Amino acid sequence: MTSDLLRQYNYDEFVPEKFMPWMRFDESPELGVAAPDFPLWRLGADRAQTSLKEWWSENLYLVVEFGSFT
Amino acid sequence: MNAIADKYAEDGVASVFLYTNEAHPAERYPHLVSMEQKFRHAAALRDELGVSRPILVDALDGACHRAYGSMPNMTWIFNRAGQAIYKSDWTDANSVDNALEYYLDISRRRKDRETLAPFTVQRLDYRNADRLAFFNGLTLNGRQAVDDFIKAFGPPPSAFRWQDQDSADDAD
Repeated sequence: MTSDLLRQYNYDEFVPEKFMPWMRFDESPELGVAAPDFPLWRLGADRAQTSLKEWWSENLYLVVEFGSFT
Repeated sequence: MNAIADKYAEDGVASVFLYTNEAHPAERYPHLVSMEQKFRHAAALRDELGVSRPILVDALDGACHRAYGSMPNMTWIFNRAGQAIYKSDWTDANSVDNALEYYLDISRRRKDRETLAPFTVQRLDYRNADRLAFFNGLTLNGRQAVDDFIKAFGPPPSAFRWQDQDSADDAD
């Protein structure tokens, strides 16, 4: 994890030169094949580590909305 | 989306919110510099905006978000085998509702031993685009979010009035 990546991904103002490079939906994973899994952390008292796999493997379907407060 | 989560919870459908970077950083919710701050913003999403689904926080470098295309408010649906079966570059509850009805019907047809084969379909869905409501939402972030958006995409509707929000959040 480089400081450049952290700074660029967590951009400090909504200007095209900072947010447009991250609009990469056309490069996102294909449907119907094994999806990539990542460690994630639950919001809660223990902030327990979890993963997408842990959620999709325990349910018939898993809906994931990506976003933030802003 | 909370209502969709409730509607299908008994059908084996789990719904989560995955916390990413700040799309429109501003005075109250500035850009993220630590996981502590990211958890605080995620808690505000739950407490202030009322997201009642489980909230999962991505790494500070957005490893998961970036791998899935890093759009600011996209929705994906996965099956139990870990395959993405629906992806939308914007979140719309009607579109997700429609997709879940379809996939639950697929599950019923499978139980009835129908032979099914997957195929890919592309479809253009439509969402509500209330620009005034969007600008009013930006005011929750702080003045910078409104000003940045105006610079990038033009002025708000004439009915928009800036309303100052309470005190600033936190940068670490």
